[in-house]
Amino acid sequence: MSPPASPTVAGRLRGLDRALPLWLAAALALAFLMGLPLAWLVALSLQGGDGATLGHYRAVLTDPALQRALWNTVVLAFWVGVASLAVGAPLAWLTARTDVPGKGAIRTLVMASFVTPPFLGAFAWVMLAGPNAGLLNQLWRAVTGAEAALLDVFTMPGLVFVVTMYTFPYVYIMIANTLGLIASDLEEAAAILGAGRLAVARTVTLPLVAPALASGFILAALQALALFGSPAILALPAGFHTVTTQIWALLHFPPKTEMAAAFSIPLLLATALLLLVQKVVLGRRGYAAVGGKGGRRRPIALGRLRLPALLACLAVMACSIFLPYGILAKAAVSRAWAQPLTWDNLTLGNFRFTFFEYSATRAAILNTLELGFLTACVGAVLVAVLAYVATRRLVPGHQAVAFLALSPVVIPGVVLAVALFIAYTRPPLVLYGTLAILFVAYLTKEMPVGYAQADATFRTIPPDLEEAARILGRGRLGVLVDVTAPLARSGIIAAWCFVFIGVIRELSASIILFTPRTRVMSVIIFDLKEEGQFGAIAVLGLVMLALTFATVALVQAVLGRDVLGARE
Amino acid sequence: MTRRPLDPRAIAAVAALATLLAASPLPAQDARLEAAKKEGKVVWYTSLALPSAEKVARLFEAAHPGITVEVHRTGSQRILQRVMQELQAGIKTADVVHTSDAGHYVLLKERKLLAWYTPAGVERFPPGFKERDGYHFGLRATVTVIAFNPKLVPAAEAPRAWKDLLDPRWRGKLVTAHPGYSGVIATHVLALVHQFGWDYFKQLGQSRPMLVQSAVDPAGVVASGERPIAVNGGDYTFYQAKKKGNPVEIVYPREGVPLIVSPTAITSFAPHPNAARLFTDFSFRREVQQALADSEGLYTGHPDVTYPADKPKLSDLRLLMTDPEELEKRSEEIRRRFVEFFGA
Amino acid sequence: MPGVSLRGLGKRYGDVAAVERLSLEVAPGELVALLGPSGCGKTTTLRLVAGFLRPEAGEIWVGDRCLSSPAAVVPPERRRMAMIFQSYALWPHMTVARNVGYGLRFRTGLGRREREDRVREILRVVQLDGLAARYPGELSGGQQQRVALARALVVEPEILLLDEPLSNLDANLREDMRFEIRRLHEAFAITTLYVTHDQAEAMVISDRIAVLEGGRVAQVGTADELYRRPRTRFVAEFIGKTNLLDGVAAGPASVALRAIRLRVAAGALVPGARVTVSVRPHQIQIAPGAPGSDPAPAGLNVLAGTVERASFLGDAVDYQVRVAAGDLVLRVTGAPSAPLRAGDAVALSIDPAACIPLAGP
Repeated sequence: MSPPASPTVAGRLRGLDRALPLWLAAALALAFLMGLPLAWLVALSLQGGDGATLGHYRAVLTDPALQRALWNTVVLAFWVGVASLAVGAPLAWLTARTDVPGKGAIRTLVMASFVTPPFLGAFAWVMLAGPNAGLLNQLWRAVTGAEAALLDVFTMPGLVFVVTMYTFPYVYIMIANTLGLIASDLEEAAAILGAGRLAVARTVTLPLVAPALASGFILAALQALALFGSPAILALPAGFHTVTTQIWALLHFPPKTEMAAAFSIPLLLATALLLLVQKVVLGRRGYAAVGGKGGRRRPIALGRLRLPALLACLAVMACSIFLPYGILAKAAVSRAWAQPLTWDNLTLGNFRFTFFEYSATRAAILNTLELGFLTACVGAVLVAVLAYVATRRLVPGHQAVAFLALSPVVIPGVVLAVALFIAYTRPPLVLYGTLAILFVAYLTKEMPVGYAQADATFRTIPPDLEEAARILGRGRLGVLVDVTAPLARSGIIAAWCFVFIGVIRELSASIILFTPRTRVMSVIIFDLKEEGQFGAIAVLGLVMLALTFATVALVQAVLGRDVLGARE
Repeated sequence: MTRRPLDPRAIAAVAALATLLAASPLPAQDARLEAAKKEGKVVWYTSLALPSAEKVARLFEAAHPGITVEVHRTGSQRILQRVMQELQAGIKTADVVHTSDAGHYVLLKERKLLAWYTPAGVERFPPGFKERDGYHFGLRATVTVIAFNPKLVPAAEAPRAWKDLLDPRWRGKLVTAHPGYSGVIATHVLALVHQFGWDYFKQLGQSRPMLVQSAVDPAGVVASGERPIAVNGGDYTFYQAKKKGNPVEIVYPREGVPLIVSPTAITSFAPHPNAARLFTDFSFRREVQQALADSEGLYTGHPDVTYPADKPKLSDLRLLMTDPEELEKRSEEIRRRFVEFFGA
Repeated sequence: MPGVSLRGLGKRYGDVAAVERLSLEVAPGELVALLGPSGCGKTTTLRLVAGFLRPEAGEIWVGDRCLSSPAAVVPPERRRMAMIFQSYALWPHMTVARNVGYGLRFRTGLGRREREDRVREILRVVQLDGLAARYPGELSGGQQQRVALARALVVEPEILLLDEPLSNLDANLREDMRFEIRRLHEAFAITTLYVTHDQAEAMVISDRIAVLEGGRVAQVGTADELYRRPRTRFVAEFIGKTNLLDGVAAGPASVALRAIRLRVAAGALVPGARVTVSVRPHQIQIAPGAPGSDPAPAGLNVLAGTVERASFLGDAVDYQVRVAAGDLVLRVTGAPSAPLRAGDAVALSIDPAACIPLAGP
């Protein structure tokens, strides 16, 4: 018999990957999502009365107030990076390498810090460390009789502290994972040669984790750069701006949109630069590779230092979880949050007000949930398709797919919002004023975290599982249903959850894109802050935390491991 | 300090009143009522303090079943921003706009964004509460005052004049609201600039007061003790706080107090014009204005409203007036210089 | 049962040619091993046969069907083959029974009862009865391997492909499984391609071995042929140990190694040409004492040497002997009784038939 006749186009397409049109659609959607707004952003920043001009950049970079904001942002990012290292690295080392007690609890608490929205932490710390009414200061004054306050959270150090409390988990994760790859033998070799515990840590472990440390610093600094809520709550009352709050202020009436656009570009460039540096530091593999398979790890005995180490860990967790959550709970049930919790001070009135009298609440919660579900569902499908195509290398240019899917991490939320605002408040596509613009912002912003999870998921499913099914007679689509989907299911559900959590706590983009009708929970919490309605803020904050933790529990149940990646 | 939610007994009483009112409709309004009911709702952009705004809304809804009030409360400056941004994007949502920055209405009227409408009964209001062409009317009024926490600052030492606030001993103990958010404060700043010049604010800035946004916020800050002295703020908020038992004392400075009349108007593009008119009429009725005075501590333009005995009458105070046109023209300058002196 | 014909296959990855002008004929029912070091192209060849890769040159025929060519590739699900992967590729979310029965659902028109019977039968054949309801994660490595075998055999494929199926097992199990696979092959007689890098495995399991080097077939033949008559240096070194002696042809069956004239296996050597001769260590006889006194037995090569190193291995002694005249060092395998020591003078005798001249480098 002769070879098969030259195939028709249809025949070739049938034999070709049916994933191709799907991939094309997804890639186009991605490019459109990100490309269009950014193009508008750059265009507007250069737009002058007649033709292109660098005037806005000049205005922005020479204005002393804006320069101050830039400087404040640099200072904030730097110190948050350093402080996150100082907190996260030792904590990681303690739980990963030593016999400190309560590791499981510590890890859970770190995860709780990771998912707590930083702006809620900032609110809580206002109530804890406001120089006069803050409860910690009141306690200090009662105990020591001093006049001056112990802590003043309305300062740059205060801001750095609060941001660090919710940023150090990034460093923790990086370091803990890296330490997990280093075999004990390396450290034991040093110990046999006479190095004490600390010396071993300093001379053997430390150089091995140095790339992870650098990477963790960068991640923490990146987070700090892009934050809006915490600076708005802590810096503005103290009279200083960061770039994010300044951009927000530039959009107040009458809006100086061109200047906002021009001012966004340095932030974007800074983020891109930091990510580039991080990539170089970590090498092509994208995680801190230390070589070797990582043998068994024998925990280092802390001996006498065991209890102090545990106390140190708990002190950190007190600052990021116990105290803030506690004060939020107190404020939620108090008439006057600054007064002690006596019987007269107890009330359910805040709940009543928030849910039954404040008309914006119901709409905001519904919007948040609706957007959360929608973004998570669309996002999960999108990243599943993209990750599958990329990991199976189904089409040429699959590296571009991964790059595109991860690239939104370069754009801080505020900048993305400004870009979307510029792009979608003008014809042909006017999305402003609808939930759609928020949906676009959230999808773009949360795509990287969803994609990373989907990518990891498909990498755990070896391609030969699919090939084995194909050679036994199943077509490609059937293989997806029989083999790939059941195995990928829990990983994709986890991706769904991560996107969902990201959406419900998003503030920096929402604060620019919302309209009175399309408010979400984070926005009304912010509104209430501008009115000083602490009770209602606390109630809504607790609702948001409840939603978040419920989703986290779901991830845990589905994946059998916690959000940080450690197997139980 | 937490805002106390609506007192159930008060709302029951006023609801009963409102039902009475609704049961006796005025003649020409029957047709309008039908039209409004068909529209189903009125969208209200307001800078009135949140509990007060919600209360007015619930009163209206109780008196007019079938018409809901969508309350969108935020600071005056934000309201203007919202309206302008939405218009730019072709979104027409707001029916009634109520802020505390009279300058806004100059701007809005200029751009033909206001509808001409005179609410019933408003002829008897004093001149400061009526716009000569009939596009907007003063819904409420307040004066900005100084307030202090008597537990932290003995009454004998408390500042009694705007100039007293400049004393260096108050450094780190002050709180101010922001003209970039609040219309009340923007008006206040202009009034004081007329009295003392910008130099006053330059010196005040050197005491590094804590910055909050809304004119409603300083009351909470003072009551909680976070800062013992507020250098400005709507007097009605301090009054409410004091009435609830918080440690707040009001000072009406001897140089005079800026008067802020907060106008309200119907937009020219209102999607629910009949409901909007109905709502506006309602908000100027004596009963509602009285409610604003009684439970919220506000001043109103209504001649028949009686005020609590422990509040000074407007006629007894030395009022500092501002011109809305000037307010509008200098709004950018006010905000810019404030930021210059206070940092953010 | 069809045979497999690979005709001039070519496949590149970037600028590296993984497979180049590769041709091989596999007779129906034959088990041919694709043997070679990593990177020689054996796995690529297997995946081309399976239909996971498209050849850039050449064709693959199974029986009278052309299944692959640069123009078109019949997709894997329609090639009527079965494959056993190095990792076994058992689906963790399906039981053993469902794993094994998977192919039956799509390749045959059998009803459920019939399928279940067949699954049970094949599990008995591979000695896994009673494990049908287990999950792969609950089985040992050897058991998983047999599930993979069962899954491939139950569908009665025309061609069976195995990709280093034993490399994840420990040494003892590997040996047992070699014989098991051979037994199954003889029972089912399916045309089979077996990829491995282990020459002992190839020699036990296969009917013929194709040694691959650099994407091409260096030599095809039975284990015996490859061992005793390697054609190239690469094949000689890859299959078993050998001594490689570089010299110059001095006659049609004679090679000059310095001062030595070595008589080699009958051939048509061109005098003056460079030649490499392969001599297996165990085909060299070693005896103490210097040669010379007795006349050389007819035709044998006799060399005088000195033992440089002797390693006692239990069932043999491994000698390293220096032959001064040829400036050679030869590895010799000797009997364990009466071992010689370093420094002893010895006489080495080699049958010319055991001296194989190799073609090319």
